Amino acid sequence: MSNQSVIKMGSESKGPLGKLRVTLARRTEGRAVGLFLIIATVVTLTQPLVFTAYQVTLGRIALIGLVALGLTAVILMGELDLSVASTLAVSGVIMTVVANETNVLIGVLAALAASVVISLVNAFFVAIVGINSFIATLGMLFALRGFALVLSDEQPVKLANTDFGIAFGQPILGPLTPRILIFFAIFILLQIFVSRVRVGREFLAVGGNRQAAYDAGIPVKRRIFTGFIISGGVAALAGVINALERTAADPTAGSTVLLASFAAAIIGGNYLKGGKGSIVGTLIGAASLGMLQVALTISGVQVPVQEIFIGGILLIAVITDPSSLRAVWGSINTVIQGLKNSRAK
Amino acid sequence: MRKSRLVLAPAALLSAAALVLTGCATEAEEPASTGSTTEAATEAEAETFNVYALLPQGTDQAYGTTYLPPMEAAAAELGINLTITNSQYDADKQASECEIAVAAQPDGIILWPAVGDAVRPCLEAAAAAGIPVTVTNSDLFDADKELSAGFSGPDTYGQGVASAEIMCEIVGDAEVSIIQLNGSIGNSTAIDRDNGFTDTVAANCPNVTILDEQNTDWTKATAQQVASEMITAQGLENIDGIYAADDSIAAGAIAALEARGVDAADYFITGIGNTFMGNPLVAEGKLDGTVFQSSSWDGGNAVRLMHSVLTGAAGPDRELLLMPSVKVTLDNATDPSVAPEW
Repeated sequence: MSNQSVIKMGSESKGPLGKLRVTLARRTEGRAVGLFLIIATVVTLTQPLVFTAYQVTLGRIALIGLVALGLTAVILMGELDLSVASTLAVSGVIMTVVANETNVLIGVLAALAASVVISLVNAFFVAIVGINSFIATLGMLFALRGFALVLSDEQPVKLANTDFGIAFGQPILGPLTPRILIFFAIFILLQIFVSRVRVGREFLAVGGNRQAAYDAGIPVKRRIFTGFIISGGVAALAGVINALERTAADPTAGSTVLLASFAAAIIGGNYLKGGKGSIVGTLIGAASLGMLQVALTISGVQVPVQEIFIGGILLIAVITDPSSLRAVWGSINTVIQGLKNSRAK
Repeated sequence: MRKSRLVLAPAALLSAAALVLTGCATEAEEPASTGSTTEAATEAEAETFNVYALLPQGTDQAYGTTYLPPMEAAAAELGINLTITNSQYDADKQASECEIAVAAQPDGIILWPAVGDAVRPCLEAAAAAGIPVTVTNSDLFDADKELSAGFSGPDTYGQGVASAEIMCEIVGDAEVSIIQLNGSIGNSTAIDRDNGFTDTVAANCPNVTILDEQNTDWTKATAQQVASEMITAQGLENIDGIYAADDSIAAGAIAALEARGVDAADYFITGIGNTFMGNPLVAEGKLDGTVFQSSSWDGGNAVRLMHSVLTGAAGPDRELLLMPSVKVTLDNATDPSVAPEW
């Protein structure tokens, strides 16, 4: 509410230019766009295959980005959902096991239903019991990993309908595969939800100032439940897509997806403390990360070096945050002032 | 001032990225343009190939670290431009790398499956693009073998057999009970070794009873924890020996035994690998035997097999290049021919 007031005042006092400045100041994607443009330029000059084989790059972006999009829903509220990696694994296993007994559609529905149950348990511990979401979802991360292993008898579960799985991985609209189309569909839905739907907009209010959100009559606990259901549901969808495309569900899947998803959200300008961020930012973050990963893979750069670059990008995204810069600059000023004072004495 | 920093930090990192990206590209292209003094090398230079090697490990693991240099050396010798990836045993990541490789349209793809069950779409995509695939280290499951031109690597089933033969020999006719520690879940090497060991024990020494078996992630730390839990569950007094699918696992199991205050030398223990960790344990008498696996043989022959496929030297049938499964016991542990490599 206060944000809206500020915008109104700013726009009234400074005209169109002022309105633009306030709008830009409100957005959190600025750094993400800057990083994206720099990465895109470097990659274009050094590894043009990243763009000529754009469907492959889009596939990698969708692989990283899908889980990150769902994760953004809880990050906006200042919560974390570490269980997405295991939700991805267990939903793939559930889908494959059920599909092998019935059909793929029932398998997919079973996996999504399981994700709702998982999300409700997560949200219960966070919103009702009051456990820190990091701890609650960390517990769920381990529990689900074990459940996936038990359910799969500790080995990958092969999809009986292999032909369907192979066909699912093929392009259906131009060069676009179902994974890419689902990714963009989820992006559009979540973007509309967070920016146009009241319930979604309240996520930012819950993350920005929880007490104020309570005072304003926002049903905070219900919003937390909604956020976790989105996060878990999207992770389950990613698990289902992975299992279908690979024609097998790996109970240990998702080992690299958790950190990549958080990295995409952070690069996209989302604040882990909540209240600031956007779905568009996560998309840009996932695109930057995906492009960089594809370029480094084509170059044959070994994983440790890749991690240095991704870590570097992540650090840049964090330290170029205006409030971080102000804090660093303030600390430096204090140190310099202290030195000057000691010399004066 | 602040603005300049904002620009400089990303610019510096991305400049470094550009250097790495272009540097690697130049490095990869070098073998194609480097001349050689020998006739054979000149011939190889005339026929240069671009090959992607989709591996699940690299310099982040001991085996990968010693696997890569011979692979790169063989590639340089044979005029192959190698692009090497590392999926860190993530099947989804390897699938994405496979898509990149197919899009790059190389002359061939060397595949080390991260998860055996999940590589069929990759193999089909490569086949559709007319790119030959050879498999290294861990072979495909039978249903998928028709989609690859060959396999080079350890005879993983044979390694399990060799480890079991050592176990049967040291046990003799005594009735003994052992616990079994396997590799990671779903890994075809782990599955083959498991089958090789259990089949051979059942056939050659049915007096050996396997009380329980558990998976590990190939590391000593996890193996120690898993072994410790199994010892608790089964009771130390009921266990006479341990089969470990790898020397790191054997080392973990031995550490778990020693933590109980017992001497590992009093137990029947076999492993596989003859690694830097396993070989000294054999020499000390704590590990009764292991099976030599050469990472340099593995890495080098992955490229040689691909080269023979690309040059047509390989026949129309699926090529098999199997590493000999040499047994290493106290008798030959210090022999230079079985000096550990990783």
